[in-house]
Amino acid sequence: MNTINLNRYDQVSHTWDEMYIADNHLREQYHQIIRYLENESANDLNKKEELAKRLFMSQGITFTVYDSGEGIEKIFPFDIIPRIITCAEWAFIEKGIKQRLKALNLFLKDVYHNQFIIRDKVIPASLIYSCPHFLREMHQLNVPYDIYIHIAGIDLIRDFDGTFYVLEDNLRTPSGVSYMLENREITKRLFPDLLPQCKVRSVTEYPAILYKNLLSLSPRAVSNPTIVLLSPGMYNSAYYEHTTLARLMGVELVEGRDLIVKDQKVYMKTTTGLQQVDVIYRRVDDDFIDPLVFNPKSVLGVAGLMSAYRKGNVAIINATGNGVADDKAVYSYVPDMIKYYLNETPLLKNVPTYSLGNPDEKAYVFENMHKMVIKKTNESGGYGMLMGHAATEQEIENYKKEILKDPRNFIAQPTISLSTAPCYLDGMLQPRRVDLRPYALVGPDGISIVPGGLTRVALKEGSLVVNSSQGGGSKDTWVLAS
Amino acid sequence: MLSRVASSLYWLSRYVERSDGILRMLKINYASSQDTIQEFTWTPVIRISSGGNEAEMSAIKNDSRSVIEYLLFNRDNPNSIINMITLARENARSVQEHIAKDLWQCLNEYYHTVKDPKLLWYVQKDDPVTALDILIKQVMLYYGTAGSIMERGEIRSFMSIGKYLERSIQSIDILDIKFISISNNPDLLTDTSYWQHLLLSLGGYELYLKSYRKGFEAENVLELVMLNNDFPRSAKYSVNNIHRYFERLKSDKNIEHYNKLSFNIGRLNSTITYSSVNSMKAEGLHPYLVKIRSELYGIGNLLNEYYFANA
Repeated sequence: MNTINLNRYDQVSHTWDEMYIADNHLREQYHQIIRYLENESANDLNKKEELAKRLFMSQGITFTVYDSGEGIEKIFPFDIIPRIITCAEWAFIEKGIKQRLKALNLFLKDVYHNQFIIRDKVIPASLIYSCPHFLREMHQLNVPYDIYIHIAGIDLIRDFDGTFYVLEDNLRTPSGVSYMLENREITKRLFPDLLPQCKVRSVTEYPAILYKNLLSLSPRAVSNPTIVLLSPGMYNSAYYEHTTLARLMGVELVEGRDLIVKDQKVYMKTTTGLQQVDVIYRRVDDDFIDPLVFNPKSVLGVAGLMSAYRKGNVAIINATGNGVADDKAVYSYVPDMIKYYLNETPLLKNVPTYSLGNPDEKAYVFENMHKMVIKKTNESGGYGMLMGHAATEQEIENYKKEILKDPRNFIAQPTISLSTAPCYLDGMLQPRRVDLRPYALVGPDGISIVPGGLTRVALKEGSLVVNSSQGGGSKDTWVLAS
Repeated sequence: MLSRVASSLYWLSRYVERSDGILRMLKINYASSQDTIQEFTWTPVIRISSGGNEAEMSAIKNDSRSVIEYLLFNRDNPNSIINMITLARENARSVQEHIAKDLWQCLNEYYHTVKDPKLLWYVQKDDPVTALDILIKQVMLYYGTAGSIMERGEIRSFMSIGKYLERSIQSIDILDIKFISISNNPDLLTDTSYWQHLLLSLGGYELYLKSYRKGFEAENVLELVMLNNDFPRSAKYSVNNIHRYFERLKSDKNIEHYNKLSFNIGRLNSTITYSSVNSMKAEGLHPYLVKIRSELYGIGNLLNEYYFANA
């Protein structure tokens, strides 16, 4: 029995589908894989699904749910059907992200030095100074090569006509890149020979590029600088990713308790005494990185780290204070930044964003709550949002009260429908909403984006939320070479 | 290498080694429990391998399945296999980028194997040896993987020191308890199967047969387990290896600490080397074993202080 019954694929109306044009015509990039799938029975595909689960489990790519005392280990849901991006789509995405990052990086340098953009009244000062992630500690601090954003995971979505929009910039400690790498490894096992046949571009270069960039940032001119990856520890949900990256780059994985600051230099405690650390790729948030400067209760960070950073004795990746550039209220000014700093027209569109700190926009949003998605400006992971189209009157009223307490803290965006991609669920292909997070690496030699990324998918029927904390899963993401 | 990493490698290795010792002991003792017309008591095994409470233990001491279940799966028993492999795996998880990926997967699979409900079913309802064999195979996979792919450097040294320290402590514990039982029940001294089981559970049975032609005698068993140079579970062999792997950690940066610990390991090595069965008997076997054991603990403590930054 064939599993791929084109007539049973129930396309969502007014939505861009990654595989189908209307009337069940396949987009060209999906021809080959569908031909492959048509020759597999439901049994074969179920076996592939099992294999994927087993591979994730045996590699320990799991997270733990604590239910009744003893934790239950679960794997992140993975859908076996890849999401496919054409060569032309990718060229556009790549160009758009590079443009955006160039502007955002210039913005960070400006906002922490001369603040021309505020003086020229392109961005209101109040917006910057009210952002909790704007760090005075970064003022007049020169970072190596003027690079603030070394690693970015920009979230893209597609509206009903296929246009790409940037949803979030993620310039602090974006995660998920290990899933990009692991998903590909698993797909190699699931579909032997299919990747080369389809001319899928490789993503394996990522750790090597990142390592090269980290190496070039060492403040000490030594032949073999010490590079570490600072993790909050094994109870962090992204710990698997931290170990994977450390292993793939061959750098030391450290926790706050392994480091110590002496005379404004950072050292790690080793079996042969203290060893100076030159570059820290940190996966600990700004707030927790140095208890002397930020949250005094933090045990995840290192006391005195900021003083060593300010002195220029250690490089921190990403720079602290980047949160001011990916704040959800500052986000709406990114197109203006691109015009202001680069004198270019933005390639990637922004989702129209209403800032509730502005009374006119607030009034408009309050009248149209059902058509809006409302988010807190400094939350991520899909927490604290209101999906207007699915909320009850009561929920909307409560949320309005919440907004009125501190309007600056909220933004609203019209509901963008998100494109769908085929997923193998319950023995057949079904459309589910997806987004795309490519990972960009910025080094002294420029910006590189490995061809691929993380496609997150809302596995629940009708859901628009792709975050893993809200029942989302992921897919391998193929970028075709031609 | 980070002190924390060294510490995790050392403990991960100790836990795996301990689980190996316990599994082998269980397998042999289970076999002997099926091969006796008298009531078989698990008390010595429980004493050697469980950190659980005595009262709870004595209730099940004659019931093989319950004992095995307790020693494999009981979460309240700190030395149960499930607790040890959990700890080994947690330690491995925090040093994943140092041990090869394959080794991490071995430990991860070992953990999932212990948690497999099928295993409990073998112990409760079917053939318990099947369960033990499955687990022993997991340990063998671990050692095979470690032996064939791990780099020969500091990582390996800390893991080996942990392994041999654990192993020597285990061998000494087993001897001590077996000989204490004899002083309570002198008949055992001439009981062939008593010594046979001890040797089997240490994996030294065949070597014994080759080395001693006159049947099973307590003194020969003692000599093999304490002093034999070639028996991988003898105290001599293990301490030799602790010495060997520790020497590789020598570095100019911490020469002072190195010298102190090296002195202690050297002293212990000499104590064993210049012992004989007669000198042990003259000193009293139990006090002798207690002395050796506390030297081993002392080495563990100094490692902790000098190398793992836990002073």
